[in-house]
Amino acid sequence: MLLNQFLLLAAVLFCVGVYGVIVRKNGVLVLMSVELILNAVNINLIAFSTLWGLAGQVFALFVIAVAAAEVGVGLAIVILIYRNKRSIDIDELDELKG
Amino acid sequence: MTGFVAVLAATEDIPTPDVDWSAIAPNLILMLGGILLLTVVSVVRGRLPGWFHAVWTISVATAAIVAVVPLWQRVQDSGPESVLAGALVLDGFSLVVTATICVSVILAALLLEAYLRRERLGGPEWYVLMLLSASGGVTMATANDLVVVFIGLEILSVAVYVLAAMHRRRVSSQEAGLKYFVLGAFSSAFLLYGIALTYGATGSTNLSRIQAFLADTVITQNALLLGGLAFMLVGFGFKVAVVPFHNWKPDVYQGSPTPVTAFMATAVTAAAFAALLRVYVTTFGPTYRTEWQPLVAALTVLTLVVGAFLAISQTNVKRMLAYSSINHAGFVLLGVLAASAAGDAATLFYLVAYTFMAAGSFAVVAVVGRRGDGHHDLSDYQGLSRSRPGLALVFTILLLSQAGVPLTAGFLAKFYVLAAAVESGYTWLAVLAMLTAVVSAFMYLRIVVTMYFAEPEGEPRRPRIPAAAGLAMGLCVVGVLVIGIVPGPLSDVANDAVSQLVAVGR
Amino acid sequence: MLAATSSQFPVIPAMILLPFAGAALIGLLPRSRGDLFRPVALLTAVATGVLSVWMLVGFEDVARFQFQVNQPWISDLGISLHLGVNGISLFLIVLTGLMFPVAILGSTPSHDPKPYYAWLLVLMGASVGVFAAMDLVVFFVFFELVLVPMYFLIGLWGHGRRVYAATKFFLYTMAGSALMLVGIVATGILHQRGTGGPLTFDMVAIARDQVISRPATLWIFGAFAVALAIKVPLVPLHTWLPDAHTEAPTAGSVILAAIMLKLGTYGLIRFGLYLFPDAAVTLRPVLLTLAVLGITYGAVVATMQKDLKRLVAYSSVAHMGFCVLGIFSLTVQGIEGSVLVMVNHGITTGALFLLVGYIYERRHTRLISDLSGLQKSAPIMAACFTLVMLASVGLPGLNGFPGEFLSLLGAFEGARWWGVVAVTGVILAALYLLWAYQRTFHGPATGENARMKDLRPGELMVLAPLLVLIVFLGLYPAPMLERMEPSVKALVAHVDRNSDGFTAVERRYVGPAEAAEREGEGG
Repeated sequence: MLLNQFLLLAAVLFCVGVYGVIVRKNGVLVLMSVELILNAVNINLIAFSTLWGLAGQVFALFVIAVAAAEVGVGLAIVILIYRNKRSIDIDELDELKG
Repeated sequence: MTGFVAVLAATEDIPTPDVDWSAIAPNLILMLGGILLLTVVSVVRGRLPGWFHAVWTISVATAAIVAVVPLWQRVQDSGPESVLAGALVLDGFSLVVTATICVSVILAALLLEAYLRRERLGGPEWYVLMLLSASGGVTMATANDLVVVFIGLEILSVAVYVLAAMHRRRVSSQEAGLKYFVLGAFSSAFLLYGIALTYGATGSTNLSRIQAFLADTVITQNALLLGGLAFMLVGFGFKVAVVPFHNWKPDVYQGSPTPVTAFMATAVTAAAFAALLRVYVTTFGPTYRTEWQPLVAALTVLTLVVGAFLAISQTNVKRMLAYSSINHAGFVLLGVLAASAAGDAATLFYLVAYTFMAAGSFAVVAVVGRRGDGHHDLSDYQGLSRSRPGLALVFTILLLSQAGVPLTAGFLAKFYVLAAAVESGYTWLAVLAMLTAVVSAFMYLRIVVTMYFAEPEGEPRRPRIPAAAGLAMGLCVVGVLVIGIVPGPLSDVANDAVSQLVAVGR
Repeated sequence: MLAATSSQFPVIPAMILLPFAGAALIGLLPRSRGDLFRPVALLTAVATGVLSVWMLVGFEDVARFQFQVNQPWISDLGISLHLGVNGISLFLIVLTGLMFPVAILGSTPSHDPKPYYAWLLVLMGASVGVFAAMDLVVFFVFFELVLVPMYFLIGLWGHGRRVYAATKFFLYTMAGSALMLVGIVATGILHQRGTGGPLTFDMVAIARDQVISRPATLWIFGAFAVALAIKVPLVPLHTWLPDAHTEAPTAGSVILAAIMLKLGTYGLIRFGLYLFPDAAVTLRPVLLTLAVLGITYGAVVATMQKDLKRLVAYSSVAHMGFCVLGIFSLTVQGIEGSVLVMVNHGITTGALFLLVGYIYERRHTRLISDLSGLQKSAPIMAACFTLVMLASVGLPGLNGFPGEFLSLLGAFEGARWWGVVAVTGVILAALYLLWAYQRTFHGPATGENARMKDLRPGELMVLAPLLVLIVFLGLYPAPMLERMEPSVKALVAHVDRNSDGFTAVERRYVGPAEAAEREGEGG
């Protein structure tokens, strides 16, 4: 059935996103990887909504809106750090250790 | 299919749910209070004194607590209600968490006032963000729908990401903000993925409908649902910093401005645990308890042990408290794990008690941190008993409470959790938890030893104690001692505050 | 306020609250009135002591708990402030009332008198609370609460490695209490399950019903036993004791020896025997072995000590071994002897620590090798030391004898072979104490030792009540025995009734008729 293929696509996208968050050092690329995961969720929600009705699609809209807000804040923080450190490499952030 | 039919019908005449405004009054007060403060400040611009924001915030939070009281009466008299077409639920549990979040807003605002003046950071944004974040926390606690849980979590988190990074001149603050943001967004994504799978398995995101669905239907292939449960657990696990999803916590707690850390340790923790409990215990507890309990038990073990042992080797007091809060999270998780009425009450009791202990402890840390918010090393506490005996005594009481010494809130909180765990057959975990508490006690004693027994190198510094911070500490110590000596009122409330799900139409 | 079940004056709450109030008063006094701290502390402690004596006078020679007070505390968990005394706890409370004024009078802090006296009073209130508690949780609350003041007393006013000793003391005890707390919770919940009634932590109810299954009681008893064995302390859980004793200030050592250690043995009687008689009988060999091990090990190690305070500390390990031996002989004599040892060890060891403290004040050393010939420069002190030491050795006619004798007698009746080994401890005690006395007080008085000042009259006055009691209780222990006998007999009968493995030896002492008469009493 078509549903499974969508779910598979979402799972692949999810894995790519998780990989990106863990491996990427660039702050912006990490944000993009998070976006990938959220889009995997959206694909899932919409795929399931063929099964259960429109609620899933509505939820997907919510996710898109929230993701936009989140990225806005995230980029702001990245810019703040860039101003202070001239770098957005996450690994170079080493003020906090214990 | 019902949803689909409803939507088709809706194309002609969109049915808007009846809104019982009084039922969501606390949340509205917090949210509007925050927005109004922003509006007022941007209109009046600069003519307002710095303390105005703090007073406003405290008044708003107090008003929200006042609004909780009649609702509590209503719930006790006529039972829980469903609000906003089943999106939210009005029950005793959510109301107690609401009040707890408001209390932590008050305590954090008291700290923030003096902190901002000392650090020469101005601005109403801190308070606005805190109020909005609290409103998100309340949304999470009252959520009756996974979508609402998610939205509440995001309102809560996004505001706190910003708050963590708000200290413009400290790079460590921005580092904390980014780390919190990345892991927070990551965990939200996990949670969302879990919600999506759960929706796929049960056909609804509404918790009461999921509960009813699971009670009626035996799912033959429940891989989807189990996957959803696991992913959601990871998401919540990040939020409450359960080991192995705890790595962000020491860094973020250390780097964030200390009043924000206090807010995170109290309000954010309380809201996240409330949602965790509502989803896992109340919704999936009756039917899927045996599936998630082993998983949560394993997480509890890890959280307790790792939190306690990693705390010992720290030399930064803020980090110590961060690790100890991981250990405390393990105790709360023990209450969740019990998955019983007693466990719910114990969780609530612990969250309330921990609010006072943590806020008070971080208040002391904020004061000792001095300008620049950087003096958090253990050596900065040397000789505190001589230079500031009152401060040292306050910190000692709070630390002893965290260690679980009787006649303080911490002891009874642990007692209730243990009782719930033993009742649910987790005696071995209770023993383990108490043993880790001893390890934690060693860490608390290290701080006490430094304050009282270590000779300071050179002239001991006398950190200035601003009145507002002093008031916050006083409130916390009184709270800790009153709960510890006269626990009756709080335990009655915790026992009456049952977590329930209500279907639409009731 | 607290309502007494009888119309009496609520003497036990008063004895707990009075020291706490005194501590609060000292806390409120300004630092500039430094001259007031000591009188206030002394007055409060003496008043509490007087109350304890008043209670002793009003005590009836029956087995039931007296001066009971019962006030709900945490109603949803069924925890109530249930306090009361019987023949066993009575003397420990009186001992508390006696030793605290002595400790306050007997030494002064080197600095910071205000918190010092405040902590001592908190310690006093909490100690009375432990002995009077009849609710498991209330017992635990006071048991843990005792830790905090003691921790600060050792850490702030101690000597040498005081921080190490204080932390070790705190963590050892807390580790034990952690297990005990889970044990208490499990007891309450299993009792509720067994009876189907409401949750309660009331000691009398739990002991009466005996509804907890046998395997569970074994575990719970084990948890209690570990916690209490740390407090007693039983070998091999004793290593905190020498450090704590040695580094503590004089008052701390006195209280530690006289009161703190008794919390453990008292707890073993209350929880071990009274709550879980069956488990106690089953696990008896383990505890007897540890007790005998403690007696011999403590004595041998004490012989080798170079530091006087450490020597006394190890002698405590040996003496407390006799207590545990007596308790787990499960005979009337054994338990009576055990209670006697507890009280008398408190008096003699308290006096010994005071004397060692006086020597230290004068000579700034406690090393036996640095001291010699003190007899010549300080004859009165030597006389006092001789008396106290002989009492500690267990010389007939002094107070150390009856307790040890009865414990051993009980052991011979109930646990013969352990008793035989324990006797060697008595001989060793004579060896190490006499040898230490000989090295410090006899021989040539050289250098500083020759110039050491004798006891001042004030110091003698502090020691006097202890010396009088040493002689009095040695010659005439009957008043104590009479008051505790009904309680002890009821306890033995209770154990007898509720355990399988109990043999006829013990039955001789409590006839079935007598046991039936005391149905529902005990502890």
